[in-house]
Amino acid sequence: MTLDFDYAKFIPWFPAIGVIICFICCMKPALRKLAGPACVLSILASFIAACMAYSYVPGVPGSTAAGEGNFAISHLFNWINIGDPEKGGFVANFSYFFDPLTMIMLFVVTGIGTLIATYAMGYMHGERGYARFFAGVALFIFSMTNLVMGDNLLVLYLGWEGVGICSYLLIGYYYDKPIAVEAAKKAFIVNRIGDLGFALGIFLTYMTFGSIEYKVIIPAAQELLAHGAEHAVALTPAVKAAVAQAHSVSPSYLAWIPFLLMLGAFGKSAQLPLFVWLPDAMAGPTPVSALVHAATMVTSGVYMIARLTPIFQLSEYALPVVAVIGGITCLFAGTIALTNNDLKGVFAYSTVSQLGYMFIGVAVISVGGVFHLTTHAFFKALLFLTAGSVMHALAGNLDIRTMSGMRKKMPVTCWLMFFGCLALAGFPFTAGYYSKDLLLGDAIVKGTIGNVPHANWYLVAGILGIITAFITAFYTFRLWFKVFMGPTSWEMGTDEGHEPVDDMEVITDAVAKEAEEADPHHTHHHGPHEMPMWPMNLPLIPLALGAAVLGMIAVGGLGLIAPKWIESMLFNSTQFAAFHPEHSAATDATHHTVEFISGSLAVLGIALAFVFHCWKREWVAVVCKPIKPAINILVGKYYVDELYELLIRRPLHTFGRVLFVFDDYVLAGLVNFASFIPRLAGWAARPTQNGVLQKYGVGMGLGLAITLLIVFYAWLAA
Amino acid sequence: MTLETLLIPAMVLVPAIFAFVLLIPGKVFDFKKNIVAFSFVGTLFSFIISLFIAFNFNWGEPVMQMQGAIPWVPDFGLTFSWGIDSISLWLILLTTFLMPLIIIGSYSSFEGREREFFFWMLVLETAMIGTFVATDIIFFYICFEFTLVPLFFLIGVFGGENRLKAARIFFLYTFTGSMLTFAAILFVAWTYSTTHAGVWTFQITELYAAAQSMPLHHQGLVLAGLLAGFAVKVPLFPVHTWLPLAHTEAPTAGSVILAGVLLKLGTYGILRFALPMTPEAIIAFAPYVGSLAVAGVLYAALVCWVQTDVKKLIAYSSVSHLGFCVLGLFSFDSNNMGSIGAVMYMVNHGLSTGALFLCIGMIYERFHTREMAKMSGLGRAMPIWGFFMVFFTASSVGLPGLNGFVGEFLTLIGSFVSPYTLGWQFAAPAAAGMIFAAIYLFYMLGKVVWGPLKIPHVHGHTADWKPSDLNAREISILVPIAIVCVWLGFNPNPLLNSLEKPIAQLSAPTNSIIDAQKEATLKATTPAHVEADISLEPQAKAWESKVLIAN
Repeated sequence: MTLDFDYAKFIPWFPAIGVIICFICCMKPALRKLAGPACVLSILASFIAACMAYSYVPGVPGSTAAGEGNFAISHLFNWINIGDPEKGGFVANFSYFFDPLTMIMLFVVTGIGTLIATYAMGYMHGERGYARFFAGVALFIFSMTNLVMGDNLLVLYLGWEGVGICSYLLIGYYYDKPIAVEAAKKAFIVNRIGDLGFALGIFLTYMTFGSIEYKVIIPAAQELLAHGAEHAVALTPAVKAAVAQAHSVSPSYLAWIPFLLMLGAFGKSAQLPLFVWLPDAMAGPTPVSALVHAATMVTSGVYMIARLTPIFQLSEYALPVVAVIGGITCLFAGTIALTNNDLKGVFAYSTVSQLGYMFIGVAVISVGGVFHLTTHAFFKALLFLTAGSVMHALAGNLDIRTMSGMRKKMPVTCWLMFFGCLALAGFPFTAGYYSKDLLLGDAIVKGTIGNVPHANWYLVAGILGIITAFITAFYTFRLWFKVFMGPTSWEMGTDEGHEPVDDMEVITDAVAKEAEEADPHHTHHHGPHEMPMWPMNLPLIPLALGAAVLGMIAVGGLGLIAPKWIESMLFNSTQFAAFHPEHSAATDATHHTVEFISGSLAVLGIALAFVFHCWKREWVAVVCKPIKPAINILVGKYYVDELYELLIRRPLHTFGRVLFVFDDYVLAGLVNFASFIPRLAGWAARPTQNGVLQKYGVGMGLGLAITLLIVFYAWLAA
Repeated sequence: MTLETLLIPAMVLVPAIFAFVLLIPGKVFDFKKNIVAFSFVGTLFSFIISLFIAFNFNWGEPVMQMQGAIPWVPDFGLTFSWGIDSISLWLILLTTFLMPLIIIGSYSSFEGREREFFFWMLVLETAMIGTFVATDIIFFYICFEFTLVPLFFLIGVFGGENRLKAARIFFLYTFTGSMLTFAAILFVAWTYSTTHAGVWTFQITELYAAAQSMPLHHQGLVLAGLLAGFAVKVPLFPVHTWLPLAHTEAPTAGSVILAGVLLKLGTYGILRFALPMTPEAIIAFAPYVGSLAVAGVLYAALVCWVQTDVKKLIAYSSVSHLGFCVLGLFSFDSNNMGSIGAVMYMVNHGLSTGALFLCIGMIYERFHTREMAKMSGLGRAMPIWGFFMVFFTASSVGLPGLNGFVGEFLTLIGSFVSPYTLGWQFAAPAAAGMIFAAIYLFYMLGKVVWGPLKIPHVHGHTADWKPSDLNAREISILVPIAIVCVWLGFNPNPLLNSLEKPIAQLSAPTNSIIDAQKEATLKATTPAHVEADISLEPQAKAWESKVLIAN
């Protein structure tokens, strides 16, 4: 099964070319300005290639692909092949897997990536690491597209680690700030903890199925789940072999696979208990927060579970656990966002919280999971970028307590962010409303119909999600009202727009001066100001449109595309092929109820935020006074970081010290002691060689006597 | 003897010949530039021959190729015999590839006694290549031991403050271990002669059969002896203490060779001798050696984290990394992924850790210190250096797409699926070493490359002195290594495929025993009448009862 279009497999490699161009631009100061456009164009090329490939992919509505199977594979080159692939050999190739899920992910990654990179051309203008930044972004898109397109777990892992290192490099972009360096390191290490689980999951998958290719393991897992019932597509020999091998190993191995993989997903997608890195990751430039830490990279965990749904069903506990973890994270992060006063921090915790929703979605095998991933990418990217504009205008100030009434200074940004906030809050008929309520409805349905194992877990997750809907609306609009409404006032931050250019700088003075002239908005003498239309505000308009109407289009079609597009996409994806959503009057009623409840909760939250943060701001202090201790815990972010420091990092570091002392004194000491033994023997024997003749005589006599004695006894015995 | 068989002796001897030419008195070699250029040509010559060998090598054949022999002590069965298979060839290529780069890298690392320095470097290359081409075990052993001598002088004469202590400990430690190895070799040869009417031979392939026919307790002795020498060389926890000391005191070139090639002599020895000679003992020993390897991975990683000297950190990281390698060698999975991965790991570790030592040497040349507390944010002052440092760290930490990952992944998956000797109990904690590797390597990057710029005070420079970034010579050392790292990362297949057959041969004795044992247990548990049709139905039933469909 191969595609009859060849360019699709080069989708990840356009950004790879972009990396090389940006890299050259890094080295040649004169070319530095080209890095941004090169990066944007390379991502755009991927997006166009993805669009052109769309209609050839099997399973998408209106596909022209031949009816065989529900996915297509395009082989690029061999990567790691050991042994005979027919007889349990190991195969992991750079082959790309195309099905509707891949296409949705590709649209999100390359489409939103293009918009964010365009914005970044303006945002990063005049920065000394301009080319380095875009090299990182292009490398990120390369890794991310590999992640979503790979046809086996190892290419997924390659993309996974690749986005991890890009995230490390981009968080640490301002690498002379210790806080950024710490945040970058933390992000990478916490992710590695999850990756340990992921790696072990790959090992175990190989051990049980004898393969790590989706085309084998997904049908094999579906076959195992179907208990030999009738299946639509005939199994290939490889799948049959995998099923046989899976039957021959201990069932507990199969049950472990999802839990190990899950750890990786929780690390990358910042779920409890591994979420601590994401809020700190905001130390990176804002476009990075938007692209990497909101729209794309952090959703990889969601993608992984969506992709491997049948594998996650191998244990009956796996998906319920995912749902509950998602639900708890959702509420947990949402409550932290309530009291956060950092413009980006609120959105960071809200990302953690929204990722929790997505996990609930994929855990209940709802279309809503990936649908929410898509809409979230739009509105969260929009929110971060508009937040970046505010931050830019205020010279790096992020404290929302110091901002008020900014709508007068930045009207476009204000209303763009308004759309993003509406979608995040789940205001009726915005994109976030459709996707969130779809997955919450499915969770409640699954939790109440009763024929599902561990239904209560899904119900708990769904209820946690509904509660969080209210909290989300409140904290989102708390921020928006605080920043943009009320009397106009602001404080400037300490950033100068440009970092000071010193003699180490490779940018020549001429280039810097040119940048200054071309970009007058960097000077802050006149207070905050609106961002220029190109390249900063224009790319936000598609995002805002998406945040407003994407839900309606994807569900209803609106005459633009086929109705229920998102559903037909996802239920034609490989991993969902065996499932059919239940539709009945009862489930529809549940869905409508959930929609009504969470929609009205959103409106209520917005109204409350309006009361406390716009209309009667002085009431906040009154209300907060009696619940001060609770608020303190929230402001302290539940002290999770401190707890980890105290319980894990510090003991481990101390243990390292102990081991080093052990190494230096005990192990090396033993060796020294061993080398001391010959010397000791020499020292013990030394007095005999003291040159005194009488002593030699005595020694000789004694020796002779002993020898004689021995000979005598020997003679006697004989 | 055809011309082809002479290629190997040529490759081995060229550096030695160049070395002795260096000793000829004369004005030409009074200039450092000439000495370096001359030695460079010598190593490059050797590299070109090795490339020529690689192109003429039949990669599909698992047998020893380009064999040749010169009688030495015929009565005692001693010959200088040589030959290579793909395992040797990859390690030879690693050696000959690194040596010219190291020679250029040493251009500015010290002052005075250059002739002596490059003499020992070239002699060392001969000894190292000799180790990989020898097919006579005594020839192997001589080369193996002889590598100690040049390095002893390189450390003892050109090293840091504690150089004498470091050189002495390094020499005595490894020498003591390899005396036991020698005893084990003699024991095997003696067994051969007793079963072959007093005829002595030291041909490795002949000795395989002799050793395999030994009873288990004799094999155990042989393996213990072999491991005594090889494990010290690797170095396996807890006999690694010589390594950090030797590394910190050695000059940059010494460290690169030590980490790049010399440590691999240990793992190569295990693969070439221990695996095929003592299959039964290997199976008995595997859990213990595996435990030591895992302990070493974690232990050394934690020790790395508390280091203050960058070079010592990288030195301990070698102990941690080689733990993966040993683990892979003892995995014996059905595809030999562990051992194949281990050989790839040897090559990778030589490249990435060697390059890291080179990078740190460049820092030391500028600042004469390696204390992390004294420096910070050097990426600002030296962006090109910073790039390479981050790049090779990423390779060392096992980032997919670079070389380090492939070896690490294969050794771990090999030991994970290892059916009999190891298993997930070993692979899972070892895989935790991936986390620790990230912790200590990124801790190092955070201290040295990132952060606010802080330049160590260097005697003779003013306070506002700024170090120069890498010059063309230094860049040209690191670029080839970086290219190979990327190439092996995306295209490891030629290497892996060429290793499959030779490694299958070396681990065949052990694998056949494992298969026999597996069959025996299957027979013991399966009643005779269903044996013909080994149905997996019971397991399937058990499985089905446990799994419920979630939907």
